[in-house]
Amino acid sequence: MKRLVEIGLLYSQEGSYAPLTRACRNGALLGIQDVNANPDLALELVAVERDPKCNIDLYEPLCTDILRNSTARHVIGCVTSWSRKEVIPGLERAGGTLWYPSPYEGFEASDHVVYTHACPNQHLLPLLNWTFPRFGRQGYLTGSNYIWGWEMNRVARAVITEHGGEVLGERYLPIGDTDVDRMLAEIKIARPNFILNSLIGGSSYAFLKAYAKLGREDPYFTAPTCPVLSCNLTESELTYIGTAAEGLISAGPYFVGWKSWPQGPRHDFTSSFEAAAYSAVRTLALLLNGRPGAENEKLADLLQSPNADQTMIDVETHHTTLPVLIAQVTNGAFEVLQSWEDIPADPYLTHPDRLPQDVQPKLTVIK
Amino acid sequence: MRPPLHIPDLHAARAVILHRPHALVQAITRQLVAIGLKVAASWPELGPEALGADFVFFDVDMGYDAQFPWDAGNAPMPLIALIGSEAPGRIEWAIAQGSDAQMLKPVGDSGVYSALLIARQSFEARQSLRAEISDLRARLAERQTVVRAVTLLAAHGDCEADAYAHLRQLAMSRRETIEQAAQRIVARFSTEEGGGNVRRDHS
Repeated sequence: MKRLVEIGLLYSQEGSYAPLTRACRNGALLGIQDVNANPDLALELVAVERDPKCNIDLYEPLCTDILRNSTARHVIGCVTSWSRKEVIPGLERAGGTLWYPSPYEGFEASDHVVYTHACPNQHLLPLLNWTFPRFGRQGYLTGSNYIWGWEMNRVARAVITEHGGEVLGERYLPIGDTDVDRMLAEIKIARPNFILNSLIGGSSYAFLKAYAKLGREDPYFTAPTCPVLSCNLTESELTYIGTAAEGLISAGPYFVGWKSWPQGPRHDFTSSFEAAAYSAVRTLALLLNGRPGAENEKLADLLQSPNADQTMIDVETHHTTLPVLIAQVTNGAFEVLQSWEDIPADPYLTHPDRLPQDVQPKLTVIK
Repeated sequence: MRPPLHIPDLHAARAVILHRPHALVQAITRQLVAIGLKVAASWPELGPEALGADFVFFDVDMGYDAQFPWDAGNAPMPLIALIGSEAPGRIEWAIAQGSDAQMLKPVGDSGVYSALLIARQSFEARQSLRAEISDLRARLAERQTVVRAVTLLAAHGDCEADAYAHLRQLAMSRRETIEQAAQRIVARFSTEEGGGNVRRDHS
């Protein structure tokens, strides 16, 4: 007999970054479907859904609404760091837990959040370390005007400078803004070795399209000489970018076709957002399985239970041990160029031993 | 442009929490461990291990001077005050300890990381100001020596402006401060007391 457990879903179905939230929502729904169909899991998960429509002021009230008006104590939700930080006080009050399946900028380890996607030692640092010997250390930094863009570029600046490189420019756009002319003009003059793109949604698509156009005018601005790097672009957005995505280099825990993560038999995810949300639901089900009432326990207690041994969640930081993949868009799909397995998260960048090592220099065949 | 915030190396840094056993100690410990520090709690006094700590969190509500193995205001590491009662007397005591940052009780889910960064930054700024002030004080104390050296040089042929320029040049050529050059001049003239010919010293 399966026991019924309500879980919250807090995903926008329309708005500026809806392609990402839809990917997460699909992953979560797929996770619920698989858990419910699995005879080895004595649980039936029931989704309690709210749609904040990408409106920052709706996240906290709707999250609190789920926690107040249903029995759900676990909410799978949020794509932006801004919305995650908005809902944490409500989770604290209600004793709830957010499962957050997006890449983010690190420097957080809430007692009420499980982070199931990558943080900088699992995306930005390996990506830069991989890039330096291949393309150089002169970077141009772009980002959306909020914590993700700011902090990613701050870390990037520190890493570039530490390695003797130089930041040739740094520019931001408000979320949703597509006026990329000034960035492009600066890039044209600066001629960096690479561009780190921490824009999100429509701003990012507009930038990539304009950069592809620049590359047609001056071939220096193409992937072999000056690639665009990203820590958040996945297959879920390729259709919005089209051929302008060709050559883009991205870091993440999953790209279509990779099989080492998430745990479990299913490997047919359409993006790492979908995979991370699926993984969140599956991991939660593993923690609750065979322990009636565990859904009301505090996260800290859940992670101390014997069931936690089957998961990849770190009990101290609530982050996930993940593969780190570096992949490039080639003929419309991501091709993995380098991979590391089982890299534990280091959200505060205080554990140098958790940085993927042994980056091989690119081998060129001499004819 | 301001220099970027120096992020201290927190890898395996040590923190001591001076507070009676309480949920607050667990809340702070959880955050410190997640950040990557090693943590010990202590009450009612700081044990000798505190002298090796990189950060000390201390209770303001029940705290008193004798808890610390150093004089008030002279902690050798950044201090973070844990404030419950905002009574002015307690705040005054926390300030007198030399708090570099504070956290208000109850401590919840966050706040420790920013307290660490702010405390370290203010501690370092205070240390470097102290060093600078002590250097300036030492130089100020030698003002009289400089005046005497200039007077002696002027008495032996230079006008006052030339004598000062001469002194500066001596200091620069030996990579020492004006005060140190002045001390040498004064010392030399006092050994040559009674006169004799003054040689121009370009060594």
